[in-house]
Amino acid sequence: MPRNKIIGAVEIGSSKITALIGEIEGGRELNIIGSAEATSMGVKKGEIVDLSSVGRCTHAALLAAERKAGAQVDEVFLSASGAHLEGFTSTGTVNVRDADNWVSEEDVRSAGQSARQKALPAGRCYLVHIRGAAYADGREVENPVGMQAAKLEMKYWNVHADEGRITDMIHIISGYDDGLSVEEIIPASVAAGRIAASDDERRAGALVVDIGAGTTDFVLYRKGHIVHTGVIPVGGGHLTNDLSIGLRINFKQAERLKLRDGKAVLEKGDKEGHVMLEGDLQIGDRPIPRLAIARILNARVAEIFSIIKNRLGSAVSPQAVPGGVILTGGTSELPGISEVGRDVLGVDTRAGTHPAWVTREDLRDPGYSTTLGLLFFGLQGQSLGERKTEAPKAGLLRRLFK
Amino acid sequence: MSEATRDWQEHPLRVKIIGVGGAGGNAVDRLRMSDAGPMELAVVNTDFKTLDASPLTEKVMIGKTVTGGLSTGGEAELGRQAAEADREELSRLVEGVDLVFILAGLGRGTGSGAAPVLAEVAAEAGALVVAFVNLPFSREGQRRMRQAEDALAAMRDSCACVISLPNDLIVQQAEGDPTLLEALAIADDWIRRGVQAIYSMILENGLINVDFATLRGALHYRGGKAVFGFGEGAGDGFVEAALRDLERCPLLHLPDNRFLRKTDGLILNIRGGPDMPLSDVYRIMDFIGDRFGCKENTVLGAVVDGSLQGRVQVTVIGTVDVTGARRHPYRVPAAARPRPLPAVPPPPRPAAAPAPAQAPNAAAPSSASAESHGDTSFAAPGRPAPPQTGNAPSARRGINPPEGQAEFEFLAGEDRGYFEKTDENIYEGQDLDVPTFIRKGIRIAV
Repeated sequence: MPRNKIIGAVEIGSSKITALIGEIEGGRELNIIGSAEATSMGVKKGEIVDLSSVGRCTHAALLAAERKAGAQVDEVFLSASGAHLEGFTSTGTVNVRDADNWVSEEDVRSAGQSARQKALPAGRCYLVHIRGAAYADGREVENPVGMQAAKLEMKYWNVHADEGRITDMIHIISGYDDGLSVEEIIPASVAAGRIAASDDERRAGALVVDIGAGTTDFVLYRKGHIVHTGVIPVGGGHLTNDLSIGLRINFKQAERLKLRDGKAVLEKGDKEGHVMLEGDLQIGDRPIPRLAIARILNARVAEIFSIIKNRLGSAVSPQAVPGGVILTGGTSELPGISEVGRDVLGVDTRAGTHPAWVTREDLRDPGYSTTLGLLFFGLQGQSLGERKTEAPKAGLLRRLFK
Repeated sequence: MSEATRDWQEHPLRVKIIGVGGAGGNAVDRLRMSDAGPMELAVVNTDFKTLDASPLTEKVMIGKTVTGGLSTGGEAELGRQAAEADREELSRLVEGVDLVFILAGLGRGTGSGAAPVLAEVAAEAGALVVAFVNLPFSREGQRRMRQAEDALAAMRDSCACVISLPNDLIVQQAEGDPTLLEALAIADDWIRRGVQAIYSMILENGLINVDFATLRGALHYRGGKAVFGFGEGAGDGFVEAALRDLERCPLLHLPDNRFLRKTDGLILNIRGGPDMPLSDVYRIMDFIGDRFGCKENTVLGAVVDGSLQGRVQVTVIGTVDVTGARRHPYRVPAAARPRPLPAVPPPPRPAAAPAPAQAPNAAAPSSASAESHGDTSFAAPGRPAPPQTGNAPSARRGINPPEGQAEFEFLAGEDRGYFEKTDENIYEGQDLDVPTFIRKGIRIAV
């Protein structure tokens, strides 16, 4: 019997580096056998600013996860985030070959190929080409193969990134344990969206917003397809930084205060109320007005949502996203954040929950959606040939490896 | 005139405050209402109407050939051209002045364009130039902010110290919802405190006075950033209250410098009532030295002000050398310099006269070379020469960085606090790393 495949999912985040290890049984079933996280040093706004210390932290997380799993990782799925990620829509059009206009697999493939042809400027590389809707003679169809049409159009959402930053991440993984290989790099938004929103929600149309420590990653689904992804280099770290500047306290105090007493909406009674900075009655402790905390956090959170609104424009409306806005990521746990989202976006906003197959209690934390999503794609990669054959990423990674 | 041979009886120290542009001129006008002491006041503008309305006597109109006596309409380039056209006028304005304060509001035309030129002219004339500049509100938009930032960078090249006062912070300092006049008053108060902190040390009689050379020594890095903060305390335990107030000063909590624990030069001014004991002065000094990591190179001035019975005001101005390569070469006597200067040449600036041991620099004008004669006499004893001040950027450790590295150091020098070393985070003209509440002018009561 062939050995089960062990895959690792690694997210190099701004506050922590998370590693999950999954075992793929028979190519269809996934067991999470190890997990670990390490404090992230040297990542800001989703981008690596100190390569060597990020390398050490990542290796520590991988090592701890491998120890827990009692197994060695064969290949790694990485998530990417940061302001350097960009995306665009492209359309590939072909005239169906068959004399009687029966659409074949070959037509779909060549339409896809022409959609992905666009050359990128120097220093940029494609991360993924995500297949979107298909149109047979202008009519949107689920699967065009076998239908009759003269013209076939395929929509793609293409995400590209700064080559140097991607190379840095690959080097970190390949520097572990005599060269671990990176199987695929997936935008964090795509990974998190797959976990935070259910199949039904994605089919209906939904916006998933993953607010992490350094970045806010969002992904918009329409009829089950990804039509837009984006990164705003603002996250929970900014909330903490704002508190620390506004209240004149240090970063650690601000972080503690945010987790303990932070909320994104003004409530009745906040006008007068105070919380103690430390609550330990020591010298230096002082009362902090609740109003100040709420105002600072509210301003920042509302701004994050309004930037998303500006980026997506009319694509965010109750009609366009019946599935609503789904929040995930560590900062989504801030009380009141859903209400702010609803106010700004004008769409029902709620915290996401992980699918039922995530049984381990500790992994149900919204901070894990991205890595869980990576594992999910790792499993998909085994059984679903489509993504693999379509994406020219393997070649890209090999090229970057040299 | 060399300071070594100067007769101080006949030629007392001259201090001039010059407002450039509309905002700068107004600040000087309002400064006049309060006590300006023995300082000379002047305004520079392109706009005849504004100049005419100013109650001051010394007014310089620039750029008649450029704007025809009108304002620049917010174009910094016009402001610069206007100042360049009347460079002689400007140099007459600063001739023989030892300490020049430049007040300007950056972001619009005359302030952004002309203030850097004036600073350059004043520095060339051998004056110590200290600038207080207001930065526009984030809401005023990207273009103004960019003009302001360009001007700020240009001013840092020639000023000993540029103190930037972001207008966004005014609202943080105000009580309730400030009226326009109140907001202006706060901005003026910041400037007055800063100007006062510096001139009172050298001009007023106080507990502890500082001579001009020492002040000059404390500000001997050009191109650096400055921190500026103040606190006030009254009643029982007024020293502690003042220090707490200082810690909370919003100007010290700018994203730029809030993590600043290390300054290269520090000016500390304490104003207290006649009842202030010396021990309190030293207590404040210890605290400040710890907070800003600059025990060796602190210049202390303490002034007794009869109106401050039972109260104390503390003002701090610190400079940070972000480039490491831009110090005034003539400030450091050759003997005190253990290793050669870094290979990076200082930016070509006529005022930077050659240090005695260096290869002669033919471009140096005579006024600045005269300065270098006085060198040894006012490298104040007891204050360590800059090369010994320790853990600042590598250029100061005497390492000769390769050209490329120095370049990098300069680029990376902009200290952006927690988010330093990261890419700029500009969205629709606003830096997202700056707290939203500051950019939106939401007041936070602490």
